[in-house]
Order: sequence, then structure tokens, then C-alpha cells
Amino acid sequence: MQQNFRLNNIGLINRDKKISFKFNGKSYFGYEGDTLASALIANGVHLVGRSFKYHRPRGFFGAGIDESYAIVQLYRNNETDPNVRATEQELFEGLEAKSVNCWPSINFDIGAINNFLNKFIPAGFYYKTFMWPKSFWYKIYEPFIRKAAGFGVASIKHDKERYEHKYEYCDLLITGSGPSGLASAYAAAKNGARVILAEDKPRFGGSLLTSEVTIGNQSGIEWANSIITKLKQMPNVTVKNRAQVFGYYDHNMLVMSERINDHLPKSKKYSPKQRLWYIRAKEVVISSGSIERPLVFGNNDTPGVVLSSAAKEYLKVYGVLVGRNPLIFTNNDSAYETAIEFKKNGIWPIVLDTRSNPDSEIIDEAKRMGINIKFSYVVIAAKGYKKVKSAEIAKISEDKKELGQIENIKCDCICVSGFWTPTIHLASQSGNKTKFNKEIDAFIPSQSKQEETTVGSANGVFTLEETLKTSFAVGHELSKKITNNDNRLPVPQVVEKKSTHHDKFWCVPLPKGKKYKRFLDFQNDVAVTDIELALREGYRSIEHVKRYTTLGMATDQGKTSNLNGLQLVSSIENKIVPEIGHTTFRPPYTPVTIGAIVGREVGKHSKPTRKSPMHLWHEKNNAVFVDAGVWLRPRYYKQGNETLFEASKREAAHVRKNVGVCDVTTLGKIDIKGPDAAELLNRVYTNAWMKLPVGKARYGVMLREDGIVMDDGTTTRISENHYHMTTTTAQAANVLSHLEYYLQVVWPELKVNVVSTTEQWAGAAIAGPKSRNVLQKLFPDTNVSNEGLPFMGYVEASLFGIYARIFRISFSGELAYEVNVESDNGNFMWEKIMEIGKEFEIQPYGTEALSTLRIEMGHVAGSELDGRTIPYDNSLEGLVSKKKDFIGKRSLNRDAFVAKDRQKVVGVVPLDKKTNIPEGSHLVQDANAKLPNPKLGHISASCWSVEFNNPFSLAILHDGKNMIGKKLFALSPLKNKSIPVEIVSSHYVDPKGERVRS
Amino acid sequence: MQKYSVFNLIKNAFTAHKNWEVAWKDPTPKSQYDVVIIGGGGHGLATAFYLAKEHKITNVAIIEKGWIGGGNVGRNTTIIRSNYMHDENALFSEFGMNLWRDMSQELNFNVMFSPRGIINLAHSDAQMNVYSRRGNSMRLNGIDAILLGREEVKKIIPMADFSENVRFPIFGGLMQPSAGTARHDAVAWGYARQADSMGVDIIQNCEVTGFDVVGGKIKGIRTSKGNIKTNKVGLCVAGSTSILAEKLNMTLPIETHLLQACVSEPIKPILPNVVTFGAGHFYCSQSDKGEMVMGGDLDGYNSYAQRGNLPTLQHVLTEGIAMFPFLSKLKMLRTWGGIMDMSMDGSPIIDKTHIEGLYLNCGWCYGGFKATPASGWTFAHTIAKDRVHELNSGYSLNRFHTGHLIDEKGLGTKTWIS
Amino acid sequence: MLHIKCPYCGMRSQNEFAYGGDASVKRPELNKEISDSEWDNFVYLRKSLRGKHLEFWHHISGCRQWFKVQRDTATHEIFKTLKPNEDI
Repeated sequence: MQQNFRLNNIGLINRDKKISFKFNGKSYFGYEGDTLASALIANGVHLVGRSFKYHRPRGFFGAGIDESYAIVQLYRNNETDPNVRATEQELFEGLEAKSVNCWPSINFDIGAINNFLNKFIPAGFYYKTFMWPKSFWYKIYEPFIRKAAGFGVASIKHDKERYEHKYEYCDLLITGSGPSGLASAYAAAKNGARVILAEDKPRFGGSLLTSEVTIGNQSGIEWANSIITKLKQMPNVTVKNRAQVFGYYDHNMLVMSERINDHLPKSKKYSPKQRLWYIRAKEVVISSGSIERPLVFGNNDTPGVVLSSAAKEYLKVYGVLVGRNPLIFTNNDSAYETAIEFKKNGIWPIVLDTRSNPDSEIIDEAKRMGINIKFSYVVIAAKGYKKVKSAEIAKISEDKKELGQIENIKCDCICVSGFWTPTIHLASQSGNKTKFNKEIDAFIPSQSKQEETTVGSANGVFTLEETLKTSFAVGHELSKKITNNDNRLPVPQVVEKKSTHHDKFWCVPLPKGKKYKRFLDFQNDVAVTDIELALREGYRSIEHVKRYTTLGMATDQGKTSNLNGLQLVSSIENKIVPEIGHTTFRPPYTPVTIGAIVGREVGKHSKPTRKSPMHLWHEKNNAVFVDAGVWLRPRYYKQGNETLFEASKREAAHVRKNVGVCDVTTLGKIDIKGPDAAELLNRVYTNAWMKLPVGKARYGVMLREDGIVMDDGTTTRISENHYHMTTTTAQAANVLSHLEYYLQVVWPELKVNVVSTTEQWAGAAIAGPKSRNVLQKLFPDTNVSNEGLPFMGYVEASLFGIYARIFRISFSGELAYEVNVESDNGNFMWEKIMEIGKEFEIQPYGTEALSTLRIEMGHVAGSELDGRTIPYDNSLEGLVSKKKDFIGKRSLNRDAFVAKDRQKVVGVVPLDKKTNIPEGSHLVQDANAKLPNPKLGHISASCWSVEFNNPFSLAILHDGKNMIGKKLFALSPLKNKSIPVEIVSSHYVDPKGERVRS
Repeated sequence: MQKYSVFNLIKNAFTAHKNWEVAWKDPTPKSQYDVVIIGGGGHGLATAFYLAKEHKITNVAIIEKGWIGGGNVGRNTTIIRSNYMHDENALFSEFGMNLWRDMSQELNFNVMFSPRGIINLAHSDAQMNVYSRRGNSMRLNGIDAILLGREEVKKIIPMADFSENVRFPIFGGLMQPSAGTARHDAVAWGYARQADSMGVDIIQNCEVTGFDVVGGKIKGIRTSKGNIKTNKVGLCVAGSTSILAEKLNMTLPIETHLLQACVSEPIKPILPNVVTFGAGHFYCSQSDKGEMVMGGDLDGYNSYAQRGNLPTLQHVLTEGIAMFPFLSKLKMLRTWGGIMDMSMDGSPIIDKTHIEGLYLNCGWCYGGFKATPASGWTFAHTIAKDRVHELNSGYSLNRFHTGHLIDEKGLGTKTWIS
Repeated sequence: MLHIKCPYCGMRSQNEFAYGGDASVKRPELNKEISDSEWDNFVYLRKSLRGKHLEFWHHISGCRQWFKVQRDTATHEIFKTLKPNEDI
């Protein structure tokens, strides 16, 4: 197939390697080094998409990240990516892409009817209509609008690609490898600094790739290549292409996304698709260059209207002509480079220059080459629907108000240049306030906020000579500050063409009677009339203008439209641009793949998983696990076809009448040592701790300063100045931080140290009437009788030669012991317990049975200690010392906390003794009261009482103390349940606590 | 005032839309007002609207330091809901839901209220129970709520992660079908336009520099555009409340923190509802433009900077992909931050103060946007009648002394410390 | 991401730390008679300054020490970090 728009003798592509690809189902070919955009243009394809609102045909406008048109759906390696910019996507073998936002096809798009209705749907039209009938917005109008909006389609399959993160430190981070970036990088690197140079494009060199200049005795591109080669060889330099620094965050942290495999048909093995770099830089050199501004005229969104610099890039980098009959429309000198380049390649361009009589070297050269230049001329409108076919042009008066006779001129593309906008995004993100430079009609950085320096055209410097001079100096100075070296490089001689002033004219007036749309934001279809309308309606702040018209809110984030929008507002409001100000720049500078931001923490690894040392045993023995925070705990051990309900009933009943063992490793454990340890406990817990003897454990409750229960657990005095604290699984980390805070900040005089030992100890709770028998056999040398090891007692013992701690504490309400061994011995301990316990028919039990056991006993846990209850609410007021002070005590006498009818934990039994009461039900007086039905309390925990063989629940109930014996209803409207219940004591089983002491 | 309608839109099309009037004027401040509202955000604008509409008090000024709607009403994730557990929050929010349902018609401005439903995903039976407690409470308060099992959730949002390769599987969820979203800017503009038409002066680019308090009574305010006499001042400056409180020698149970949000590039419709992740802090919806609107947790330290850092967003998006794997291939397009009043129990304050004529509306935490109409309505009532309405009686400043706290999350005084 | 100098470990990235709130608030001494409002003010009221703010951070993934940071809440500039017993 012939590539009609490809030239043979120019470009940086590899013509030895043909690459075939498909666009909208049709096969084409390009070359290695092409982008999808350059390859399509080479093949004469200019229609790639449709605009957001009016569905007007869209072609290519730029050649890089500033592209606002050419957005496609990409297919790669059996996956699909939405919203890929064709100007950025490098061509690879087998690439497939499709147009988006058009139906049924790119050539015939139904949505384009909006274009004919455009006069009825100006900016903000939707605020003024679609209000009647009321229900139609959500049901009719909105679904229609939603369907029409959006670009690409997201695949709901899991992303198979890998994304990685890297943390890096450097002396200088340099963002962009144009002349300013290369010069500052080279100067700094030669001065000993550790440098990272980032270039978002595949090729290094920036504007040097397309400019006709001489540096030293080399051409611009040769010089760029030689510098890059040298930098790559230096050990103190990291050079990255396809790497966009997109965010400048606090304390000189910048983030860069590196596209490692996006340009290949599929990612290399063991190589991530993209890598996100968090870079902490001592100094940042912003050398991000500038973006050409469009000129605004009628139908300036027609495919074939391109930026002049993009036309030059397509020509010089890819050997591709955007047209064979180009019209160039400019207000400055830089477009002449494009014109000359066309001419050199045998194409005769026509240049329309808005200026009347500019005089510069490059214009002289263009004239010498015989290029047709029309001064004081403007394009009124592009003609043609899916591609430029001609243009209406006219002479314009010196004051830019009067237009001459309209002439028609044939052309197949219009290359526009409205001068340059420095890319100040990173500087602005860093906090730099930026200032308006009247010379160039654009904002440039001002006083640095962080350690950032902007150089080259990003700083409004548009001559190469000045750029190199300042960039070499900046690279040297910044590196000297860090390395103290003073190795200064000579600045090479530059030969470039001098240019003259640009014309401060950028928006062509409409001739009388013409109603052409003149666009500012091409993707969102924001036209001059939209801005005028917004201002007319009082949306005068630039933020209001932006939000009302959606100017600059498209995926290109206004890179080509913002400044023209500002200029327009400025001219209508009769204010200078800096008074209007620009909208805030925030990261990211260009859109960043969300997968790359997230990295490897996906799927099962989205959060860590913690497992006890006995986890494998549980797995082997049919444990069904439950997430407890990030821990996995056995919920029950399934036998045969048992359900959760059946299994937990079996396990709990077995503990009540026999013996069971439960893995309690996940409980938080804190080692507390020091002469003031008891004093600390006395201040942290609500009850008294000064007299706890060695070898004894005590249950304690701790509060937050606001009086709310924070956590509970037992603490054991291991030796004189050594305590072992346990916390709930959920609060372990918080309790440790809490203790550290008070020790280090509030009471530094206390001589105590605390350290987490949660992971150092494995724990097994052995519970049930036969638990002592098991224990005796496990520890034959230790006296574990009721006298030798009474309730709340503690001994150290040897478990077949292994150091073990035995605590006689109980959560189940049965005679019970908790054995701790070092984690590495956890599995040994567990297997020994199972082996020895066999004789007593020991069974493992999970968290569900554990819950049943504690609910029956009226032991409060996480569902009662929910961060909203005080000790009284949990019937723990007996543990609140009246004598001593402790954390949170002073809050307990608040009105609400001492109210006579304060809520309190109670037991709840269904009257029919059959119906399970769903957790989360509410207790009410009248099941059929009209709404809102006053709620008296809620069911916090429910179980099947294995002791009484009927359902039993705990509730936190208003005036609970006086409600025992009352009949209420438990309502769960969600489950359509209304259950008559009786309120009973929360201590349903063994209210006197005899079993634990037996 | 010009009526907005499809007929007027068509009519104006034939004059190239040159005859539309300003939505609100740009007056210079008068020397005296009956009421001055400080803060031209959603709550301030709504308060002025309801003062004029419900209480016929129209000699009102809104003083805005920047541009109206520039605070959190213009930088949120547009979610509207009343799925609260505590009665104070639930009844207040449900009152607001009714105002939302009629807002476009009442304001003659399409605020695009869209009841697309919110689903709170649950990832364990325990969490299902916690959600049941809230859902049942909602139902008993007359608010719609349904409990969904895993399969029911899958029918509604099949694009969520129902695979095996998941850390926290979806067990089910609590849904409020009538919850939804609205076009945030339109809410501010709609209230502004109506308030303006009833005589309220909207004064932008005007900074309050001080207050005149004489004998415990408010007598006026000082601004960058001159002094204004008034006997009633309503403070509606969430995010900056502490700054103005300092000028009044008040210290409040509030800290200012940053909440970030972001949107992806627009894609074709994929997500009909608002969905929250139960094993973290992520929430997500899709805008009419097609952008995925995503938010999560606070940056975690006191901040007045409307800019955040990436690790917070990384954390939020990690949970995003855990919930919706399809997000991985989308691109994050835009991020922003809002500074908000974090109150010590996570619930707001709408109350009188110890200074006569000074009224306080603050502490909205992450929940300010949805509260806009109810907040404006009750605050207008509180100012006009000089007493709180039953609906905002729970939102008293005094609750931090009496202990009648309204802690939805049970996190206590340091809700922002995780 | 902030860069915070732990007084014990040196410069570290923010992700090693946890925030601990206003450090100008002093907990009333134990067993001291104070009024209800004094106590409630300690528990709930915060100045929440814009500008220089003295606050606690906890080097939670490091030395586990609490320390003070003086930071600008509008710009995040950190002026000084101190041990808990030191004052500005």
C-alpha cells in the first residue's frame, strides 16, 4: 500500500522495519519509530474521533501530550485501554485502535445531530432545561446524556499488567531533555551532582529534534545526541525517556511515571508495564519547554487544522506531511520554520501573517526561498467538514478590527501558530505564584517556593543562545551548592536565526453575517460565544467561566485552550490578564494510569494478610477462616456438610461440657517493664493495679480521655517490674501508641518501657470442664490444681522442654487456661495439645463458637465496645475506681453519662425461644408505631445459647438497668422481622461465675 | 427574573443568546443589613435563600472572600444521602433529601439531582451486622434502606471484584436507593440566582477582617470593602471557621483538615450507582460526563492547603482497584483538595453562640455538600427566630460539655487519626 | 509527601510517621481539681491555627518516639522538630 503523505528522505523513523496495524478495522502500515498519529497521517487518515458535545469530526491537532482530539481505544495483547492519545502511542506490530465517541461509525455519527442543534445548546444549557416533568431528569434525560458522553470503554477484566514503584533520591531532577534540560543536566553532572534527567517522549532532544540551529560545530540534533550519550555514560546520572514528571509535591517530592512497555506489543517478561518513581530531589530544574498556542478563527476545529510546530514535528521526525497544500497562519516568526521545512521538501506553502511588516532573518529567508507570504492577512474560517478543503481568508486592518474582501483559497491543511505558552505547571504545583509576562502574553514562574528553578522556554526564554547560557549556569550553580565542586563548562557557540516580536493578536473577528463557531477548547467544544455567554450571565470569575463552560476541563486539561480563554475574558471584561489570574494547576500534569499509582498492592495483596503460626494446621483441619482486621482466624472447623451455625453450636457445646482449644495468637500483647510499671497501669486502666501480686493476672478496661471505652484485656504481673498486657486484636496497635504517648509526652518521669510482643508469642486457649486434665498431662511437672494455679493465676512451665507461660484466664466462662509459647514453637504446642487432648476428646473451636460462649456469659466485646459506650453501658462500672485518677475519668461525670436512664447492656431472649434475633435489630416498645418509631436500643450480638438451647442476644438498651423483665419488640425491617422479646440479665449462663473458679 | 425553560432556551437561540440576564448581580455593599452571612458557599447561599423565602428577610448580604461556590460546594464528590444511624443526623438529612428532590424546580435551575442509589459494600458478616444496625435505624426513621446479599450486589454492580483473587471478598451491602448525586456548582449558582432575585446582596472578593462586638452583642463586621452594621451574623465558612473564630476569641471543637478527591478520564457509562468500599475509605461514582469521581480519606494532618500529597491518593486508589479492578487501566485526570472542618464527634454544629446575634454553622467534616439545603433551611430558621429548630437541636455546641455526642463512626475525638 | 526530621533518627519520609495532633494542648495533671469546662476544653477544643502550628508526630515505623513538629499548616513548611520535653 502506498503511503501518500510519507516523504522518503527525511525523518528519524527506522524505514527498515515496517509495522502493520489496524485502525477502525482497516489495515495499514507504518515504521518503527512512528506514533499511531504519524502513521495514520502518513496513510492519509485524518478523521480519528468526534468531539465531546457536538460530535464534530476531529483529526490531529498536536503531536504530543497537548493533543486534545486524537483519542482512541487501544487493543494490545488481548486487553484494551480506553482514551489513549494517538499522538503519544508509539506504533507496535499488531496494534489495533478504534475511534471513540461515535456511533455507528466515525464517518457517520448520529451524535453529530448535536452539531446542527448547537445554537440551542450553548454553554450551560442543561442548567436551564430538563426540569419538567420532575422525574424525567433521572429517568429520561440524564441516561441519554450519559450515553452520549464519555470516550473509551473500560474493560471489566482484571488488569494483567504489573506496575511497580521506585523511591529515589537525587541532587538534581531535571524535567525535560530539550536544550535547557540537556545543558543544565550536563553542567550539573560534570560538576559531580547526582542527576536524574526525565524526558516524556521516546526521543531525547526536545525542540532540537526539529530546529535548524548550530551548537558549537554540530547541528542541534547532533549536539543533543552527543550530550545524551555522554550523560548516559556517567555513573552519577540516570537518564529516562518515556518518563513524565507529573507531580510536584511537598518538600521537593516529585513523582514520575515511566512507560516501560507501552510501546511494545506485550510487556517483556518480569518487566512492569509502567513504573512510578517517587523522587526526593535536593533541587529541581524545570525544563519542560513550551506549548504552541492556537489561533482562534471560524471552524478552527476542522480536521486538518494543526499546530504549526506539530506539522514541523511530523515532517522532521516522522517524514510525514500533514498536507500537500498547506496554509500557514501565524502571528509570529516560529511558523516560518515550518514553512521553510515544507518548501525544502518540495511543498509550496502559503503563509498568512497577521503582522503588517515584520522584519527578521527567518522571514527574509522564507522570502528568498520564494514562499508566498501574505502580510496583514487572517484566516476567517476553515472550509470542509471532515477535512479542510479550503479557507476563507481576508486582509485585516492595522487595528485588527476591519476585515477586507473575503477570498477563498484552496488548501488541505492549516498550520496555526499563536506564539508560545511556557509550561509552568510543575512550578505552579510547587507553590510558585507565577507572574504574567506582557512581552510573551503568558505566565512564567516567579519567586521559587520550593527548591525549583525554571529554565529555557518554560521560563519564557525563546532564544537558544540565552537558553544555553542560563541553563549551563543554573546546572553549575545548583550543583555547586550541593557538591561544592566548581567545575564550570564553557557554553558552546550558537548559530540561530533571530526572530522579531510576535503580534498580540490571536482571535479573528467574525465578518458581518457569518456565524462560524470559533473554538477555544476543542475537546469540550467551548467556543468564543460560550465564554461571552458566561460573562454576560455574570459568571465572571475565571473559575466560574471554567466551570460554567467546561473550558480547560477536558483530558488535555486546557494545555492549548486556557490562555486563549483568559485572553478572551480579559478583552471582554476590559481587565488585564494578571487581574483575572489563571485557574490553579494541580497534579497530574498529564493523566496517569491508576494502576501505576497503585503499584503492586492489588488483588490478594491490596492489604497485608497476617497468619498465626498454627495457620497451616488450621488449614489442614478444614478451618473456614474469617478476616479479623488483617488477621485470618479460624471461624469454625467444618465437619462433613456442617453449616456455620451447626459447627459453631457443636464447638461451643463441646467446650461447655468437655474441652476445646482456640487459637488466640492474634490478641495484642505488650511487654511492660520498669519500676513504675504498676503506676502506669494504674493510670491507664480504670481499676486499681498497685497491689497486684507477682504471678497474678487482672482484667482491666482502659478509656479514651473522652470517657469512652478504648479497649479491655488482662494484664499479668510476670515478675516484680515486668507485666504482660493483652489487648483486643483490633486495638493492639492503637493501645501501644496510646501507652507510648503517655509515657513519652505526658508522664516522662515514669520509668517504664513498653514494646509490642504480639508476634513473639503464640497463644492457645484451652477451655472447658476437662481443660485441667489436658493441662495436667501437658505440664506434668507443674501444679495446675485449683490451689496450685487458681483463677487469674499465672505460672511459667516447661512444655516438653519448651518455655511456656500459663495464664488461668477465661473468655468462655468455663474453667480455662491460656498457654503462650514463643511463636516458632506455636505449631509444636498446638500439635501437643491436640495429641494429649485426644484422650479427653478435645476439639478445636473457632471465633464463632468463641462468640457464642462469651455472649452467653454476658462478656462484652468489640460489638459492645464500639467506640460509643462508657464502662457503665457495659456493666463494667464495678471496675471504675472511685479513689484514684486515670485516663478519661474526668469525662465520666458528664450529664449524659450519669443520666438515670443511661443505656446499659442487657440480655434478650425471644418469647418463642426459637427465633434468632438478627444482629443490628432495634428494640422498640411498639412494633407498629408510626415512623419515626422511637428506638430504645439495638441488638449488639446474637447467638444460639448452647446452655439453654434457645437464641440469646445482647443489647445496649436505654435505661437497661430498669428494663429487666420487660417485653419489647426486636425489629429488623431490613430482614422484615418483628420479634417479641423479653429483657433478661446479660449474664445468662453461670451468673455467679462459679465455673471459672472451679 | 427570567425563567429558565426549554421554551426560553429556544427563544433565545434566535437572538444568539444575547438576551440572557445575569444570574446574580455584583452590588457594592450597603452600610447596614438585617443579616450578614459570611461565606458564599453552598450553605451560606442556601441560608440567604431560605431567609428570604421562608422568613421574608431580604435585607441580607452574603460576604464572600473569593468567588461564590469556591469552597467545598465546588470541590466535593457530589454525593447526597441520608444513610445515617443516629437520629439527629438521619432526620436532619432526610429532611434535606426532600429539599433535594424539589430543588431544580424550586430554584428553576437544573441541579441534576439524580437518585442513583448508594451502596455501602460489606466484607464480612460482622460488617453486615454493623450495617444492619444502621439500615434498620434508617428504616425506623422512615428512610429507605435495603440489605443486599452478595448475589444481589453482583446483579447491580457486576464490574466489582467478585473473583477469587481478592483480599476482602464482598459479602453484601447496605443500599439507600434514593440517595444519589447532583451537579455541585449548579447548587451554588441556583441558590445564588434565586437569593439575588429576592434582594439578597452577593458580595464577592470581600474579606471579613473583624467583628464589632459590644456588650456581648454583635453590632457589625469589618471587611475589605468597608464596615457593615448588622445585628445578626451567620458564620458559614467551613474550612476557615477556626480562622474567623480566632477573630472572635472563640476556640471550637474543630480542626481543619484536607480531603482529596480525583477523577479519571471520561469513559462510557459503566457504574450507575455511588459505591463505597467497606474495607477502607474509598468511594466512587461516575459523573454524567463519564469521569469516575473518587475520594477517600483525609491527608491526616491539620491543613489549610488546598493541595495534598500523592501517598494518600495512592492509598485511596489501592482500595479503588480492590473494589473495581477496571479502574487500573483508567487514567487519573484531575485531583483536588478541599479543606474541611473536622468536628470532634464527626457531626456538625448549627447553633447560637455566647455572643448575641452571632450564629455558627460549621463542623461539617466530609458531609457538607449533601447537607446544603437542610443546613441552609435550619440555619435560616435559627437566625430568623433566634432559636434552634428541632431538626438542628442535636447539633449544639454544648453537646461537647453535656456528653450528648453524635458519633456515627465511634472514633472519638481524633477522628482524623487512624 | 512531607520530609520530617525525627529528632532521634534524622530525615525520613512522611509514610514512616503517624500524626498526633496539636502539641500545645496540655493534659491537666492527675488528681488536680479543675472545672468541667477546663476539662472539656482540653478534650475537645483546638485552636487549629492557620500558619505555624506545633504538633505531635509519632515515628511509628521507626524508633516509635513521639516528638514535636512546628509546621505551617498552609504551606507545610517545617521550621523545627523537637523532643517532647523541649520547647520552641
